[in-house]
Amino acid sequence: MNGAFVSSIILATVRMAVPLLFIAMAELYSERAGMVNIGLEGLAAVGALGGFMLAFTTGNVWLGILCGALAGALVNMVYAFATITLCANHTVYGMAVNLLAPALASFIYRVYFGTGSSLMQITLMPGVGIPVLKDIPFVGPLLFDQTPMVYLAFALVIFTMIFFNKSKAGLNYKAVGEHPKAAATLGINVIGVKYLSCLICGALAGMGGAYLTTCYSTTYTEGIVSGRGFIALAAVIFGRWTGGGVLVACLFFGLCDALQIRLQVTNVGVPYQFFQMIPYIATVLVLTLVGSKKSGPKANGLPYRKEER
Amino acid sequence: MEELLRMEHISKRFGSFYANRDVCLTVNRGEVLTLLGENGAGKSTLMNILIGLYQPTEGKIFLNGQEVRIDSPSQAVKLGIGMVHQHFMLVEAMTVFENIILGDKNSKGLFVDREARKSEILALSQRYGLDVELDKLITDISVGAQQRVEILKALYHGADLLILDEPSAALTDIEVEGLFAIMHKLVDEGKSIIFISHKMREVLHISDRITILRAGEVVTTVPCEETDGQKLANLMIGRELSGSQYEKKEARGETVLKMEGVKYHEGSKHNGLAGVSMEIRPGEIVGIAGVDGNGQTQLAQIVTGVIAPEAGSLFLKERSVSLYDPSAFIEEGVSHVPEDRNLQGLIGDMSIADNLVLKSIGSDAFSLGKGLLLKKRAINAHAEKMVEKYDVRCTSTGQEVRSLSGGNQQKVILARELESQPKLLVAVHPTRGLDIGATRFVHDQMIDARERGVGILLISADFDEVLEMSDRILVMFEGQIMGEFSGKNPPIEEISLAMTGK
Amino acid sequence: MEKLRKSLTGFVVPLLSILLAFVIGAIIMAAMGSNPATALGALFQGAFGTAASVGTTLNKAVPLIFTSLCACFAYKCGVFNLGGEGQFLFGATAAFCTVHCLGLTGFPGMLAAMLVGTLAGGVWGMIPGILKITRGLNEMIISIMLNYVATLFMGVIYTNWIRDVTVPQTPSIDGSLKLSRVIPSMRFTWAFVIALLVGVLLYYFLYWTAPGFKLRAVGLNMTASRFDGFPVNRYILISFIVSGAIAGLGGASDLLGTQYRLINGYGAGYGFDGVAMALIGQLHPLATIVVAIFFAALRVGSTSMQVATGVPTSVSDIIQALVIVFSVAGMALTKLPEFEAFRLRVFQKKGKEGQKA
Repeated sequence: MNGAFVSSIILATVRMAVPLLFIAMAELYSERAGMVNIGLEGLAAVGALGGFMLAFTTGNVWLGILCGALAGALVNMVYAFATITLCANHTVYGMAVNLLAPALASFIYRVYFGTGSSLMQITLMPGVGIPVLKDIPFVGPLLFDQTPMVYLAFALVIFTMIFFNKSKAGLNYKAVGEHPKAAATLGINVIGVKYLSCLICGALAGMGGAYLTTCYSTTYTEGIVSGRGFIALAAVIFGRWTGGGVLVACLFFGLCDALQIRLQVTNVGVPYQFFQMIPYIATVLVLTLVGSKKSGPKANGLPYRKEER
Repeated sequence: MEELLRMEHISKRFGSFYANRDVCLTVNRGEVLTLLGENGAGKSTLMNILIGLYQPTEGKIFLNGQEVRIDSPSQAVKLGIGMVHQHFMLVEAMTVFENIILGDKNSKGLFVDREARKSEILALSQRYGLDVELDKLITDISVGAQQRVEILKALYHGADLLILDEPSAALTDIEVEGLFAIMHKLVDEGKSIIFISHKMREVLHISDRITILRAGEVVTTVPCEETDGQKLANLMIGRELSGSQYEKKEARGETVLKMEGVKYHEGSKHNGLAGVSMEIRPGEIVGIAGVDGNGQTQLAQIVTGVIAPEAGSLFLKERSVSLYDPSAFIEEGVSHVPEDRNLQGLIGDMSIADNLVLKSIGSDAFSLGKGLLLKKRAINAHAEKMVEKYDVRCTSTGQEVRSLSGGNQQKVILARELESQPKLLVAVHPTRGLDIGATRFVHDQMIDARERGVGILLISADFDEVLEMSDRILVMFEGQIMGEFSGKNPPIEEISLAMTGK
Repeated sequence: MEKLRKSLTGFVVPLLSILLAFVIGAIIMAAMGSNPATALGALFQGAFGTAASVGTTLNKAVPLIFTSLCACFAYKCGVFNLGGEGQFLFGATAAFCTVHCLGLTGFPGMLAAMLVGTLAGGVWGMIPGILKITRGLNEMIISIMLNYVATLFMGVIYTNWIRDVTVPQTPSIDGSLKLSRVIPSMRFTWAFVIALLVGVLLYYFLYWTAPGFKLRAVGLNMTASRFDGFPVNRYILISFIVSGAIAGLGGASDLLGTQYRLINGYGAGYGFDGVAMALIGQLHPLATIVVAIFFAALRVGSTSMQVATGVPTSVSDIIQALVIVFSVAGMALTKLPEFEAFRLRVFQKKGKEGQKA
């Protein structure tokens, strides 16, 4: 084990963890308001396409990220309407989103780019080093010489921790996921918060998807999200529904991904698929060890009706 | 006295059902107005209108002489109306402090200024004698303390009018006294209170005026000093209340159920059993009296095999039980009318017919070859018979149980549990939330079962029900049996004392 | 009357959803400059136009029927098995490896393949079941993770261990193992018949036997079932195993019926599609089969549509997704108290008018 190896692994870990972090944060904001959304995979897929399309057309990756967020939020409004207003089952509707969103994405891709086989590519978002900090030996290049999206992800975690623990709005927001009726009697707009949570969830998941096409891979392919939406669900459970916990969980899954890629390169004789299984098996193992018995917001996944009788 | 609130001709309709019809009432400054009425008399609906959860179908509300529209809970809070719900509206995963400042609109800024808020809350709590520990989680404090948090929360949000919905239901006597002291203090400081209860003693003790509701309508409003318990009861029920109408019996012979020193989570005062012993014989009703949450739930689940005791022994028909499993108990002839009929008793999305055969579906009567082919015709015929016999009001036996009223749901459970020819019937709150007619029907069926020689364990938080039904009365407090009393001319004072642990 | 009403809403919602999805599909086609009528005509023609195309549609329906029955059975017991795809592929992979490595042929080979496929699917389904009842884990996440593992494992087989010389796929199974056509003039094979049989068997089990009755009770209310003395955890585990076994048998049948070899992309999306179809079929096994055939027709027909009119097949994917989006929302809508009040108002009026007449 030499320094170069370790630093390359850390670099890859961060790169792998960031998209997951966006998607897991999306779910955190959703579940904190009591909305279990298993449609993340689909939301990230439309985000990935939206991000790629605009970045490709305008050449501006930031517009791409914005478009990804908008696309995710827009599609998630379908979920929001069905689950909040019509009281549809969260899980069932999340599944519906998982079917609709990728179908929509691939349709739009084909209409927009044609069915030709020519490979569409964009230039990835360049890294921006933070002056002074990036010159710190060893740690500097790893943590302070990344794309702005990486900084944004970490800023999001810090913001989330402050929001839920220190701010009034965050406290009210959490109350909606814990005991919506109590929140309503205190004048908190439960329906409003739930819709807001879906907007945030869709936007963040869309950004996570857009990261994949603007900062990670130079092109859009079907299945580019490859299960990150579901691993993100596990990360929220593993992270015990807190910003910091989700960060740790995502870094862990990122590390698994980084290691498997490294192992593929160094063990050519072994079928590479065995290494690709590592993140998924790790998810199962981690959940088995952590367990997920009754924790998290109390009214998670339950419908809320205003005038109950 | 100065008038604070006036409700005029308030009606609330759900579909074709009037929960409130033409209700008028006034509350003055610095007084306790009691709303008295049976379950389902429309007290809670009326209060939900007042706090903006429901909108009245008709009628007007005046506050300080001004007409107001209360279209949301936040509007009610703004107008200075606060309610302490029967089921507390507290977020269990948060601290006392966080619960009190939830939804706070008094203070500015994005962040919570903990020190400033805490000193404000402490000042309030000292002024009204509301003793709370701000940094504890709600799950870690007692029911009485949770109630103080609720009151403090309402005051913190600026309530001038406090609604207390059956605040004494889950409290011990000492805690109730504490509550009354707080209520006196609040009234002395100029706050007004609407007190909802159906416990005569408390009502007479604390009220200034009493408004009686029956079937959604106001019967009358009387000053407290001009009435007494008997008069109130008559007004509330609409008929003369007499002693128990059922004959009390004394049973002999072998026991159907015997418990010796049964323990379960002994340290937990509210959810455990600390060495319970009792006997039930065929043809008697043994009633458990006690405030909710003193181990009754655990007792019921142990004698039906849902949970296993940690120590002690249980005998069914004089035979010691080793396997705690509901199906084994059902085989032994134990029937169960559970505490929560929707959650524990019925499959809401299945039909009446299916729910009636839930426990006997594999029997020869309803299937061929030990369950290999269901006899649907026999199942439907059985359902028709039961619906007739137990007077279940429904459109057809294929109707989903979920869509029945509470009383009819309970009749379905009763039909299933009594038709299995049980030796022991465990009935927990069998008439909770039922109207007078349905209650009467359930009681009659239980007495019939007793006459057939069924041993019945009746667990109820409704003291009147226990007195009415029981041949013997056991009193439970904090997981222990505090005493045994005969059901014939029971010593009411003594039993009430025992219920509080004395 | 009650039953009639229930089955009416049961039919009306999916039918309206399908109609609505097609309307939107038609609008998309028109927006792309094609004539929706021609395109939809081509779609229908492609799916049902000739005896041959009907056979193709039914063959295409086979895996969908199996995965939707798999989802249906688990959901009836109140658990979400989103691992149909993994169980299907694990069954197919195990079946393929067994006949290939042991060199089995003919009828014994078929039997062995189906048996091994069923067992493998059952084992793959058992894992989330065990983790749920012992560790309280979310069965959805676990079963999805196992989908990826099964897909990758199949990849190991066709890229490395049993690779067909140059291309990353396995060789075909022996000709004697291939399931024959039921009617020589139509392409559909006995795999379709097996799928139908499984569906009928499930229907019988769920609605006509005592264990099936109890399993449904567990699915609708676990607490009450526990109070009623049903072994809830055992039912949950069994439902996972059987559900997985159905998908596994599906993998084996499809392999012998039409697929013949393992190849990249095989089975992708079957699991989720199965869940969607089970939901549209309102978790009734027989209705689920009808829905699966309908979805298969959309898929088969969309290829002809693309060839004939240039409307891309992904329009058909959107229509399929919209059917589930609308039908689930529609079913939720009919359960709202506001809707019930509205229905009563309309029906009571009708009732009164009827009395007058």
